Amino acid sequence: MITLSQISKQYTKKSVGLDNISLHVDSGEFVCIVGQSGTGKTTLVKLLIAEERPTKGKLEIGGWDISRISYRDVPLLRRQIGVIFQDYKLLEKKTVTENVSFALQVAGTPHKRIKNVVPRVLDIVGLSDKKYAYPYQLSGGQKQRVAIARSLVHRPKILVADEPTGNLDAINAHEIIEILKKINDFGTTILLVTHDKDIVNRLRKRVITLHNGQIVVDKKQGTYQL
Amino acid sequence: MLSFFRVLHFAFQDIVRNISLSFMTVIILVLMLLSINTLVVVRAVTEHVVSQVKEQIDVSVYFAHDIKQEQMEEIKKYISAFPEVVKTTFLDKEAVLAEFKETHKDNNNILNSLNELEENPLGATLIIQTREPRDYEKIITALSIPEYKDIIESKTFADTQKAIERISLITAQIEKAVLILSALFAIISFFVIFNTIRVAIYTQRMEIGIKKLVGATDWFVRGPYIIESIIFSGISMVIAGAIVYAVLQFLDPYLGIILYSEGFLTKYFQNNILLIVGIEFGVVLLLTIITSGLAMRKYLRI
Ligand SMILES: Nc1ncnc2c1ncn2[C@@H]1O[C@H](COP(=O)(O)OP(=O)(O)O)[C@@H](O)[C@H]1O
Ligand SMILES: [Mg+2]
Repeated sequence: MITLSQISKQYTKKSVGLDNISLHVDSGEFVCIVGQSGTGKTTLVKLLIAEERPTKGKLEIGGWDISRISYRDVPLLRRQIGVIFQDYKLLEKKTVTENVSFALQVAGTPHKRIKNVVPRVLDIVGLSDKKYAYPYQLSGGQKQRVAIARSLVHRPKILVADEPTGNLDAINAHEIIEILKKINDFGTTILLVTHDKDIVNRLRKRVITLHNGQIVVDKKQGTYQL
Repeated sequence: MLSFFRVLHFAFQDIVRNISLSFMTVIILVLMLLSINTLVVVRAVTEHVVSQVKEQIDVSVYFAHDIKQEQMEEIKKYISAFPEVVKTTFLDKEAVLAEFKETHKDNNNILNSLNELEENPLGATLIIQTREPRDYEKIITALSIPEYKDIIESKTFADTQKAIERISLITAQIEKAVLILSALFAIISFFVIFNTIRVAIYTQRMEIGIKKLVGATDWFVRGPYIIESIIFSGISMVIAGAIVYAVLQFLDPYLGIILYSEGFLTKYFQNNILLIVGIEFGVVLLLTIITSGLAMRKYLRI
């Protein structure tokens, strides 16, 4: 599903994001990516959604080489990969429903289908009763669930989460992870970037540890160890 | 088509949900339009005044008393052939006498002594108007040739030369000042609008990034701003138009008296309405779209 071949990302002469990493993720896998701050986890996420381009190497997603993806094709890529972030990235001036609908509207999805899909994904994340709320009226956990709902509307094959629980307390964090597990059970490949030891250890999934832009550990059913 | 309606919908939603920002933008645009209109008025008035002043300047050529009609005709023809000459008016002896009597109707001494004379002592007069006051010099030089020395008794120009020179200078300077003022205004409005929009877009840079991250094309991000620009331009045009209209109603009676021209500004605006509205709308729209495009470019690259 995802293949990185000798990928490097050099931001400036001195600032290295990723240093020659190779990695393969199969369809339906749940992968935790851990590592200290500044080791290139977010850089990896940015390469996957073409917010940045690799300096070297080849990056394939579902057989599509996106290492040199054109500016015009970027929106198409992003409609096939769901992403969620630590800071939720919701549109503050739009309601929950509008935020989720937006991802479909910009993709040219017909109105009827939007009306059909949006309530369903809101139901999956348990927010059916907050349809008309604005982000400022929601808790952190609820905001992250809106973001997940939004990332699901295109039925993505891959969901990338960059520290989705970073701003949440343990209970809310746990809820978010449960939702991610549920989505994974439906067959979506999940890349979870985190540095929450408890979460990683409890998941018992594949763990990739980054250090200074390089992969130092890659273990099936691994644990968090630094 | 679907995407156009969605962009339209987003535009209206943005306007309503960012109502205070929308309000500020419209106010800035209205202020800019009012300054442009002020400039239009200043221009119109100065143009009018300048042309009035120019019209009132003329050179009178006083022919000697015993000159034949053909000689005068010849001079008139000669003068009219100059491209600088706009108008020539010929007053024959009788007309000059009548005018002379009219100007001195309160002075019995002069009238009496005139009546005592059997013959009309005055010569005919040729009044010459040129396009620009400074052209008079050329006309005078042309008339100061030896052949005409005996025909032309005198020319008023000699006395008024200084005045004409000064008026030429003043009107030229007024025209220049208005031009510089216009240019200055254009530059200032550009920066004010550019900055307003830059700030507006800076506050919305997060939104722009989010929209791109969930797969929106540039058109979906930029489209609502363009439509908002059109709507804001339209609204501010209407508001500025109403204010200008009200001010004209108030100003025109006074200006009419000062300029000897009734409804001067109203007429001016009526005659140039399409040009003024078209240019203003074009300028405002172009400014808002170009500046928003410039300001947004950075944030679209995500
Ligand atoms: N836009 C950027 N310009 C320059 N350096 C950057 C940029 N983004 C990240 N970096 C650098 O790349 C390295 C990896 O950053 P990042 O991927 O954000 O780390 P992590 O998410 O693991 O904390 C860091 O040293 C960081 O300073
Ligand atoms: Mg990070």
